[in-house]
Amino acid sequence: MVKLFNLSKSYGRDLHALRDLTLSVPKGDFVYITGPSGAGKSTLLRLLFAAEVPTRGQILIGGQNLGRLGNRQIALMRRKIGVVFQDFKLINSRTIYENVAFPLEVQGKKRYEVSNKVYQVLKHVGLEHKLKRFPKELSGGEQQRIAIARALVIEPQLLIADEPTGNLDPEVTLEIMELFKSANARGTTVLLATHDRQMIQRFPRRIVSLEAGRLSADTES
Amino acid sequence: MLRKTFYFLLRAVRNMWQSPMLTSASIVTVTVALAVLAFFAVLVQNISDVTRHWSEEVQVVVYLASKPDAAERNADIQKLRADPAVVSVAYISPEQARNSFRQRLGADEDLIKGMPSDFLPASYELHLSEEMRSETGVKQLVERLRQQPRYRDLRYGQEWLERYGAIISLLRVGGFIMGGFLLFAALFIVANTIRLTLYARREELEVMTLVGATPWFVRAPFLLEGGLQGFVGGLFALLVTFGLYHLALRSQLATLFMASGVGQIHFLPAAYQVYLLLTGTFLGLFGSLVSLRRFVRISP
Ligand SMILES: Nc1ncnc2c1ncn2[C@@H]1O[C@H](COP(=O)(O)OP(=O)(O)O)[C@@H](O)[C@H]1O
Ligand SMILES: [Mg+2]
Repeated sequence: MVKLFNLSKSYGRDLHALRDLTLSVPKGDFVYITGPSGAGKSTLLRLLFAAEVPTRGQILIGGQNLGRLGNRQIALMRRKIGVVFQDFKLINSRTIYENVAFPLEVQGKKRYEVSNKVYQVLKHVGLEHKLKRFPKELSGGEQQRIAIARALVIEPQLLIADEPTGNLDPEVTLEIMELFKSANARGTTVLLATHDRQMIQRFPRRIVSLEAGRLSADTES
Repeated sequence: MLRKTFYFLLRAVRNMWQSPMLTSASIVTVTVALAVLAFFAVLVQNISDVTRHWSEEVQVVVYLASKPDAAERNADIQKLRADPAVVSVAYISPEQARNSFRQRLGADEDLIKGMPSDFLPASYELHLSEEMRSETGVKQLVERLRQQPRYRDLRYGQEWLERYGAIISLLRVGGFIMGGFLLFAALFIVANTIRLTLYARREELEVMTLVGATPWFVRAPFLLEGGLQGFVGGLFALLVTFGLYHLALRSQLATLFMASGVGQIHFLPAAYQVYLLLTGTFLGLFGSLVSLRRFVRISP
């Protein structure tokens, strides 16, 4: 599903966020990306959905080389990738329903199809009763679940999440993890950046460790 | 397709609704710019109609030193007709000249009451061929006629031609400069309006691109917004000019041109009205495109 070849990303001349990273993630895999703060986890994820371009190296997603895609093709590729952003990136002027419907709306899906899917996925994350609320009226954990619902509503082939449990209490963390697990169980490849050791121990999966932008360990558990 | 267009239209209208001040500012500038252009176009249009009308009548009048006898007259007419510039020749006797002068005086006809019947000279009126009606064509013909000493005086409408020509170019240049300047200002303001709308929606736009909106899907509502503002501006400009025309311009022009015998003062022809609307629309589209190019990126 995801293949990286000698991937490097530098900011300016001396700041090397990623160095010569080569990695392969098969379809249906569940991978933790770990490492201390500043190791390059977020940078790697941003490269994967083409929010940034690598300084060197290649990225293949589903066999497509990101470097060769034009703007339109990048847009179409993003429709297969669900992203859960560290800061959620919910639209505050839109309701929960509208936020979750947004990726489908952008694809020009029909109204009844949109409402069906949005309702289902909101039910899946347990927030179907809040669909008329606005993001700011929800707790952090609820907002996180909405962000996940928006990523899942397109039934993505690849799910990318950056520290999805970062500032949530342990109880909520469990609920969130269940959502990722069930998505993975339905065939979605999951890439999850975290430095939460506890969580990794609870749900052991493949662990890719980064240190100062380099691959320091890749362990299957 | 239709559903998408409707969706974009809805978003464009909603954007405008949410920032009424900006939207009106942008529509007003387009209106002012285009109204100035349209106003000058009406002036130029009507004045050039006058000159065209006049140049259709352009003729050279040859005044004779003395009244010719029948033989002389026929010879003259033959020779004048042979000139390639001349289409037809009419002989006007002193009596005919006196009659038509009297008619033109109308109520003041007493003025010539005491005058002898041949106080006006006999003349030939030459109608020129279409291609000779230009200034140089007339001048060349006049040069040729001056060779003949019996042709005492030659009259042609050169002054008029030159004076109207000058007025028209002045109006044209003035209108273009002023209109062009205002169009530029309007473009700037439309672009700025769209930019501020984009700025207000940057959160939404960012998420939009990240969840897979194609570049045109992102741009379309804003292009539509710009285009709509331009179109509405064009429509208002048309209405304003039309109003001005009916309230003042028409009667002013009519008085001004009374003497030259122009039949009708008229508003912009339909084709120009359409151009005006199109100019407004393109102005809006272009203004919004300028902003979109700088502010909407799918990938860095
Ligand atoms: N946009 C940016 N401009 C400059 N430096 C950046 C930028 N994004 C990340 N970095 C730097 O790249 C390194 C890796 O950052 P990041 O990928 O956010 O690490 P992590 O997510 O593992 O904490 C850090 O040193 C960070 O300061
Ligand atoms: Mg990070």
